Amino acid sequence: MSARATRSAAPTRGTPGEAAQPVRQAVLERRYRRLLACYPHFFRHDSEEEILAVLMACARTRQRWPSLGEVADLVGSAIRMRLGPGRSSPPRAVTRAVRLMRVGAATEIAGLLIALATASSVQSVLVRQHVTFLAAQWHDLLLFIELGVPVPVGLWLWLAWANGRGHRWARSAFAGVFGTYTLIVLSKFVAGAATYAPADLFVVGIQWLIGLAVVLLLFSRSADTFYRHQSMPPTAAPRG
Amino acid sequence: MQEATFLILTALASGSQHGYGIIADVREISGGGVQLRPGTLYTALERLRADGLIAVDREAIVDNRLRRYYRLTPAGSDRLAAEATRLRANATTALMRLSPAGGAAT
Repeated sequence: MSARATRSAAPTRGTPGEAAQPVRQAVLERRYRRLLACYPHFFRHDSEEEILAVLMACARTRQRWPSLGEVADLVGSAIRMRLGPGRSSPPRAVTRAVRLMRVGAATEIAGLLIALATASSVQSVLVRQHVTFLAAQWHDLLLFIELGVPVPVGLWLWLAWANGRGHRWARSAFAGVFGTYTLIVLSKFVAGAATYAPADLFVVGIQWLIGLAVVLLLFSRSADTFYRHQSMPPTAAPRG
Repeated sequence: MQEATFLILTALASGSQHGYGIIADVREISGGGVQLRPGTLYTALERLRADGLIAVDREAIVDNRLRRYYRLTPAGSDRLAAEATRLRANATTALMRLSPAGGAAT
């Protein structure tokens, strides 16, 4: 076992084939590293050199390319590690935040249905208040709302997934999106939307409250510990 | 518990081992029946560490390469003992029913 594990010690003199062995190993190592790039950052940071040592120890003497089995194993394991549950269970605050984000995604659908149901009344008020408002403009606006819904729904769900796995960037991204959304809501109020689309603004208000609750939960103390732990390499060991 | 997980814990039951050592030991324990690949092994090790069943014992640099030794934690020992007991009970029952006396009872 140990003889095979230490085979990477390169011979300095010998046949041309033996002399080419370090070059072959360097090439193979580079190719293994490319495959290991499929793994999540935390794993590469913590274990890339270690798994590389095992891969090189398991390699055949004249091997230059990772075998199909190795490629399937490494890529499959990387995908499982990326899509599987995180390294530790999230605290209750993060679990609740993730649930609320899913509810937020559902309110986007509800918002679309309400927008469609109240479209005619909103249009008539808009036409009355703004004589220059054309039917074509209204049609474009509705089309934009209908086609645009998958974007916020996807954003809610994607950030819910990423936060559930403890990605710190996802927490910051959600805070950024919430800040932007707050500005949009304020601008709608300034534009007087409350006078002609109260039902739509009600949904917007619910979404804003959900967003606020999510931000408070994601930045709570227990969540902070969770995010910090997820971004750090696990268990440091004494060197020796 | 999956067979690979059981075998990894079994390999660590007699003392700490590094990744390549675990692969070789699992092959030996299983009589050559289970050949762990590095990707599978490290996914399992990562999960077992997160679950607190194994821990890093020490690290060493051998031939300019990082070698990390893993050991069973007390929780890992308990879990392995419970699983081994369960498997033994199942195996005993199976063997008993396969024996002539056990078969005659049906």
